[in-house]
Amino acid sequence: MTMRFIEKFVDGLSSIWLSCVLLLLLGLLTWLGTLEQVHTGLFEVQRKYFDSIFLIHRAGPLAIPLPGAALVMGVLFVNLLLGGILRMRKDASTWGILVTHVGILMLIVAGYVKFAFAEDGHVTLYEGQRSNTFESYHHWEVAVSEPLPSGELREVVSKQEFFENAVPGAEARLSSGELPFDIEVTRFVPNCRVLPKGPMVSPAVPVVEGFFLDEQPKEAQNESNIAGAYIALVERSSGARKEALLWGASRDPWTVEIGGRKFGIELRREQWVMPFTVALEDFEKEDHPRMMMPKSFSSDVVVTEGGATRQVKISMNEPLRQKGLVLYQASWGPSNARPGDPLFSTLAVVRNPADQYPLYSCIVIAIGLVLHFGRKLFKHIRAEALRNASTTGQAQQAS
Amino acid sequence: MKNLIRNFALVLSLAFVAPFVSAAPAAGLQQDAAAHDHAAHGAALPRRTQPYSERVLELASGLPLQDGGRIKPLSTYASFMLLRFNGMRTVKLADDRKLKPIEWLLDVLFYPEQAEEYPVFVLADVQTAEAIGVQVFEKKKRDRYSMKELRPHVDKLFELATQYSRIEDKNRRPIEQAIFDLAINVRDYRSLERHFDHARHDFDTSATPDLRRIFGADTATASQVTAKVPEVMDLRELLARNPERAEDLKAATMLLQVAAELIDGTDDLALIPSLKSVEQEPAWHAPIDLLQTSFEAGPVEKPYLELLASFEDVARAAGDPAAFEAKLATLHERVVAQASARGEYEKVPLEISYYKANLIQNSLVLFILGFLLVAGLWLFPRVKALYWGANLAVFIAMALLTGAIVVRCLIRERPPVSTLYETILFVTATGALFALVAEWIGRHRLALSSAAILGVIGLFIANGYETLDKKDTMPQLVAVLDTNFWLATHVTAITIGYSAGILAALVSSVYLVARVLGIKRQDKEFSKNLTRMTYGTLAFGLIFSVVGTILGGIWANESWGRFWGWDPKENGALLICLAQILMLHLRMGGYVREFGLHMLSAFGGTVVAFSWFGVNLLGVGLHSYGFTSGISNALWTYYYIQWGLMTVALVHYVIVRSREAAVREALAAAGKTPGASQQGT
Repeated sequence: MTMRFIEKFVDGLSSIWLSCVLLLLLGLLTWLGTLEQVHTGLFEVQRKYFDSIFLIHRAGPLAIPLPGAALVMGVLFVNLLLGGILRMRKDASTWGILVTHVGILMLIVAGYVKFAFAEDGHVTLYEGQRSNTFESYHHWEVAVSEPLPSGELREVVSKQEFFENAVPGAEARLSSGELPFDIEVTRFVPNCRVLPKGPMVSPAVPVVEGFFLDEQPKEAQNESNIAGAYIALVERSSGARKEALLWGASRDPWTVEIGGRKFGIELRREQWVMPFTVALEDFEKEDHPRMMMPKSFSSDVVVTEGGATRQVKISMNEPLRQKGLVLYQASWGPSNARPGDPLFSTLAVVRNPADQYPLYSCIVIAIGLVLHFGRKLFKHIRAEALRNASTTGQAQQAS
Repeated sequence: MKNLIRNFALVLSLAFVAPFVSAAPAAGLQQDAAAHDHAAHGAALPRRTQPYSERVLELASGLPLQDGGRIKPLSTYASFMLLRFNGMRTVKLADDRKLKPIEWLLDVLFYPEQAEEYPVFVLADVQTAEAIGVQVFEKKKRDRYSMKELRPHVDKLFELATQYSRIEDKNRRPIEQAIFDLAINVRDYRSLERHFDHARHDFDTSATPDLRRIFGADTATASQVTAKVPEVMDLRELLARNPERAEDLKAATMLLQVAAELIDGTDDLALIPSLKSVEQEPAWHAPIDLLQTSFEAGPVEKPYLELLASFEDVARAAGDPAAFEAKLATLHERVVAQASARGEYEKVPLEISYYKANLIQNSLVLFILGFLLVAGLWLFPRVKALYWGANLAVFIAMALLTGAIVVRCLIRERPPVSTLYETILFVTATGALFALVAEWIGRHRLALSSAAILGVIGLFIANGYETLDKKDTMPQLVAVLDTNFWLATHVTAITIGYSAGILAALVSSVYLVARVLGIKRQDKEFSKNLTRMTYGTLAFGLIFSVVGTILGGIWANESWGRFWGWDPKENGALLICLAQILMLHLRMGGYVREFGLHMLSAFGGTVVAFSWFGVNLLGVGLHSYGFTSGISNALWTYYYIQWGLMTVALVHYVIVRSREAAVREALAAAGKTPGASQQGT
């Protein structure tokens, strides 16, 4: 009984019927996610429709439950593996299809690896500046820094996923053995501004030292959101609490002294360290003559790794690849700069273990499709030639 | 973009010239608000009394200029300017004579008082004219207006346009948009008609002995003033120190002021090639640049002054056809020599020939002929001449279209597709090519019919797009698109995918129409052939759609650091792939048969249209460089036609199947009843 159920389940999971349903669902989600972008920013749309397992799509008064694209692609992967490769008839007529299916599986794997393991952000430098870190466009972290006697800075960081759902009653507690205190995030606000509490203002949120976080609606462009957090610093030895509010656009960290040690605490975009340093020597923007349409952008950078340095030009369509990281010319500014003003260049930085997988899968898919349909075309041409020959023959006989 | 450049140039010019301009014109739309009198700075302007000679038109057409970031013939510039103003490429005069774009532009530049009478501003609705106070007596709802009719109302026009410019594009009402567009056109027209005012003007240098000494005469031309600006500036400085010579100071200031006023606004036509190499100085010059140089950096180099003088010679020869031709020839020779020295002239004659040969229009005519012959063939299927005639017409049409695409590639030094307009040409050419190849393999006449229909529809759309867009169809590309490798691979592949999807939808539409109308109902081979062709086209298209889409991802990975970003254009490409894969799998799984496949394939056409144009109309995403307005109606018309046909076909299918079921039941019942009665008996 159980075996029969498993067999039926596997039959269903590998069926072409399921493939069709999944393709239809993926198409539907793609279409809905595209139209939604007119009203909602890409980041939110991506989370809702494409990175999700389930979602509720609202069409006027209707709330339609749908599987998310992540679930659909996961099931499609299994369906393709079982039905499109393992259980598929294998003869001369199906080799092309098999190869194509392998290529599509590779592509889905590439997507998953990127989704699960890639890090992406940017490093923004004015001419003359250098950096060995890059920061996220979307994610935040709480960073505690402590200057050491050696002159170095020791950092303890906690990623957004640990405190993003913090609300009163469900606070997030961040602990580290290297610190003499815990940080309790009592409330995380994805987009807000800091306001002083005036006499006519009675905010619904706590006021800390005369200021409070005024929550704002989320911007369509997720990069434009400035997060804030209410935190309490709890000393482990005494249990004493110090409350503060952190804001993502603050220039300086909140400084505090505990047990004779000084700490700086800040909410900032998530950062990663690069295994090399990038220094921007020169940024060049060229417009088409007598127009304000950009013709090219490029950044002349010096990459220092260990003791070795090298000059590199990063331009549109010509990124720098080094040590598993890829640096792209992404944008520049200030947009209102006048001739001669200092410019900054923003280089997008990506660490994607599946960087080149799509290229390999594209080659495999192309070979598979050409094999399959080429064979069919050849057969068709031969059949048509035979048909034409027999028609001509009949006509000649008739005459 | 152009307006921004103009404003930028204006701000720069004002920075240097402003001290000499008593009433500096405000930037933007208000710039030309005051009515302009060309004769104010000189004698009454001549009128053209006879047509331009072929030689003059040839010389003028071949004058190169820098516009839209590239070097193009003046005839191309004239053609697209006129298209923008007039909605077509000819000017129809009151006496039924017609002017070509280059004739019209020459008149605007050199006979402005005559040209202002030409009705070249097309307004789709008479309300637009009424809103600015123009008399619309005897005007049709959609009609054309001359500059002379509009001139008294430009203040009102610019006032309203300035007001509407504060409204976001998508929120403007049609009449507000029409007024805004008209204001832009009028502003640009006024800039053109004033362009050579400075060249026609005699500057008075007789007011002071010093000016007479500097210029060696009582009058001077604009090029002479440009040459002597540094000396006049020095003179001004000297005179300013001596209060007794206030009148002389005023005269010197006035000279510079008039020069600045006249040359201001001449930045639209960059007809003067730089003397430096392209690498050293990519930008060409307009007269305003030279005047600016003379204020800013001292004396202007002699070859520039000679060119300015040549333009003056041509402007001053207006009214004397022989002299005009001679002076134009000299000017042409000088400009071409300078452009050639920079290696920027070689594509100009090719572009002139391209537009002169009218390859796309001729291709359209032949596609129409092919279509008519094919229609005849369906009526008289045994007439072989019709079949071979149609084949020949479609083949030559396709060859001309292919030729046009190749020449465009040579002019632009780009792969065949880099703009939305070019996608239409390419989809039409490749679609017709697939169909012809299918015809040569199968010889069922169906593919030939599809090629002719696709050619006609495709080139009508191309023409319509060009008229709606009203811009040069060979523009420069933004930085991210400046890569011939990816344009040649990703863009070409994805466009072939579009082509196959559209062709398959067309063939399926033929099937659906034939089925609904009962054409060839008994001929099973007919519908089988259509199905084979649809399947083959979809399969062929799938290869290019899938490979093209993935190549696009790889390009995005190279440019932006991510393979896939769920951008609307990327999603559109994915939708085409998914739709085509789904169709083939549904057919393979036996879930759809002939009718179902054609219904899906017809629907696939709308998926392609959504990806091709629809997502650009959403106004979001990274591919906004392909955005164009005004195609929304055409797109929805196509959706409605395709979905309407599918609905009719579906209803017809259901009715036919119900009838067949009823007949089967009746037959079964009839067969059973006699048996029962026999048994009974």
